[in-house]
Amino acid sequence: MLTFALRRLGSGLLLLVVISALAYALMFASGTNIARNILGETATEEQVLLKQQELGLDQPLWQRYLAWAGGAITGSLGRSWFGAETVSQAVATRLPVTLTVMVVAIIFTALIALIIGVTAAVKRGWLDKALQVSAVVGDAIPGFVLAILLVLVFAIQLKWVPAVSTITPNAPPSAWFLSLLLPVIAIVINAVTSSAQQIRSAVIKQYERDYVRTLRSRGLGEREILLKHVLRGASPAGLTVLSLQFIGMLGGLVIIEKIFAIPGIGNLAVSATQLGDVPVVMGVVLYTVIIVVIVNLLVDLLNGWLNPKVRVA
Amino acid sequence: MKFRTPVTAAAVLTAAGLVLSGCAAGAPEPAASGDASAPTQTLTIGAVADITDWDPAQAHVGHLLQPYQAAYDTLLLREPDGTLAPMLATEWTYDETNTQLTLELRTDVTFSDGEAFDAEAVVANFEHFKAENGRQGAQLASFESATAVDADTVEITLTEPDPAFTYFLSQAAGLMGSPAALDGDAIGAAPVGSGPYVMDTASTVAGSQYVFTAREDYWNPDLQKFAGITFKFLVDNAARANALVSGQINAALIDARSTAQVDGAGLERIAYPTDWVGLLLLDRDGTIVPELADVRVRQAINHALDREALLEALQLGYGTPTAQPFGPESGAFDEELENAYPYDPERARELLAEAGYADGFTMSAPSVSAFEIFFATIGQQLSEVGITLQAEAVPDQDLVSEIASGNHPSAFFFLFQGEAWVAINQIISTDALYNSLDSTTPELQTLIDQVQAAKTDEELEAAAVEVNRYVVEQAWFAPLYRPDQLFYTDATVTVEPQVQQAVPSIYNFAPAQ
Repeated sequence: MLTFALRRLGSGLLLLVVISALAYALMFASGTNIARNILGETATEEQVLLKQQELGLDQPLWQRYLAWAGGAITGSLGRSWFGAETVSQAVATRLPVTLTVMVVAIIFTALIALIIGVTAAVKRGWLDKALQVSAVVGDAIPGFVLAILLVLVFAIQLKWVPAVSTITPNAPPSAWFLSLLLPVIAIVINAVTSSAQQIRSAVIKQYERDYVRTLRSRGLGEREILLKHVLRGASPAGLTVLSLQFIGMLGGLVIIEKIFAIPGIGNLAVSATQLGDVPVVMGVVLYTVIIVVIVNLLVDLLNGWLNPKVRVA
Repeated sequence: MKFRTPVTAAAVLTAAGLVLSGCAAGAPEPAASGDASAPTQTLTIGAVADITDWDPAQAHVGHLLQPYQAAYDTLLLREPDGTLAPMLATEWTYDETNTQLTLELRTDVTFSDGEAFDAEAVVANFEHFKAENGRQGAQLASFESATAVDADTVEITLTEPDPAFTYFLSQAAGLMGSPAALDGDAIGAAPVGSGPYVMDTASTVAGSQYVFTAREDYWNPDLQKFAGITFKFLVDNAARANALVSGQINAALIDARSTAQVDGAGLERIAYPTDWVGLLLLDRDGTIVPELADVRVRQAINHALDREALLEALQLGYGTPTAQPFGPESGAFDEELENAYPYDPERARELLAEAGYADGFTMSAPSVSAFEIFFATIGQQLSEVGITLQAEAVPDQDLVSEIASGNHPSAFFFLFQGEAWVAINQIISTDALYNSLDSTTPELQTLIDQVQAAKTDEELEAAAVEVNRYVVEQAWFAPLYRPDQLFYTDATVTVEPQVQQAVPSIYNFAPAQ
């Protein structure tokens, strides 16, 4: 189990290096005149040259990347080229907001998808058909369309919740709750249908296996078969789909954060990319990859523990 | 259960912890005060652009000047109509060479950290602004040195006359920070100025909202009309409109396409122009596209554009069609030039034929995704007289450097319409970024020199109008219209427009009576 974990950790680190190098190269691929972008249209050529030297843009790309990577290893991600914040500060203030939305959303997605998926698999019939249809519909409607509809109805018409985020450090919990309600609902509706579908298939597959027939023939109750054996067998597939949902949420959140003006990592990523704020973009990339690696690692370990065959695969 | 429990527990704890960490204190209460005259109402403005650095040397203008005005006073105050008025400086006079400027300062002003405002502080600010090479560093391009003559007199020496210098003292270059804070890093995160409001750092969230409360004993209570101002950063137009309609903010700028939603909610609108939209016909010497060297070709382009129709299609009619690049309050404006090139495709074809290009020609311009609709409509009109406008896709953030690169014969853009001297140095002089192929003629240079050498406002304006007439006659540009800034306020707030500024200054807001 330990070598298994170490192997997974090693491939995670490799992923980190490859993606960060790619991202760094891409940021400069267009030959962007970043110094001019920072100083704006009124700046003189002299000012622009000065700024280029200040940021080290006159050095070769690989040298700049190594300098960045060296800093990252020692824990220094540098300072935004467009602002006063250090990259660590910028990420530290926004990541908790995004993670709150994601963690709450994935918990609800898991619970609801599990209930719907298992019920559909066990009961079949009309409930199962309804689920299949809703899975197609829920998957087809983009999260941001749902979000806009939710805002129009619950924020503008009914005025139950704020239209844009009121999240601040000293806001009462109710403000956080109300601000995150619509974004979380939009994400959960989008994620739950396809997850439930996957869980349903996984559970049905287990029921079709020989061991279930054997257990039944031994006179085990349906309840015990489901909770002790079928769910355990179906859990790797369920966990995998949930971890994919979690990672997929990172992408969807970029738009959701914009619609609700949530001060999260998605908004930071968009504004930094548009500006060409390389240190901030790299910081966001780094933390995002770390999150993805951690989630994958946790799911792998969990699967390995649940199903020993995975460990040697 | 080795794994499942800790993971679930960790997830729940993380979520709970994150929620709890956000609720150390209650919501900010409006400042209670025993003084009956003290304002009690607060103002929340939806801002389009984020403040990433509060150091006055990194200050920006346009959308970003407002929040700096909350924290910092400027040396001069720019009235809504554009005239300059005393603020931290009570008097300002040039010597006869227009290169020596003397400022008389107020003596009753302190910074929020307790430091006194005096001549040394002004000198420190100028030197800091110059050294930091910030986003408006060009405002001090003509600045050579500043000397404190005595505690309340500063003498500024310029390398050459700069008719816009005093205007800049009401903008980024005029924002005065506490000299004790200028050299540190902390001022970038939280401003230290002498302004009417101080930042409430506990309620402020970088990238989201900036909360200010009124400063006690501020030297000019007339400028301090609210108990506090919050700037809520809402980059998305729909989010801004939603926040306005649902009452989360009191005021915001809204795109023309959202006016229907916002108008229905009973909000007040002010509309005023700050930009012009159109084509810069950069290749006046024909280096890249030889056809453009002929003035008749450039005039043909101007005649081929149906400005009224474009304004209606692209801006829902909110704006004014125009054929001149200078704005009504610039000092260079000439009413007669507004319709210098009436829509006349027949005349355009004639001019092209006279120039020997009856078969038309092709010119390109850098384009970003947001410009597609503009290129489609303008290109359609030009194609009717035989001119092909080719869009060359460039990344969004590179647009300005692409236009400036000198590789494009023309460009489409939204450009700020500033004071005459500012505009000349933006689009016409050989130093101008948007004169990327450095076109000029001896006649034009003479006219520009006259603007720079002007001793009085009247002289300056007379010379600037001549520059305007010259570039319109020579068809250096193909302006389309001046789009209106559509700024909305709710029933609790009134606001006055500010000329040549994307959003009104904070001094222009007042509680509704």
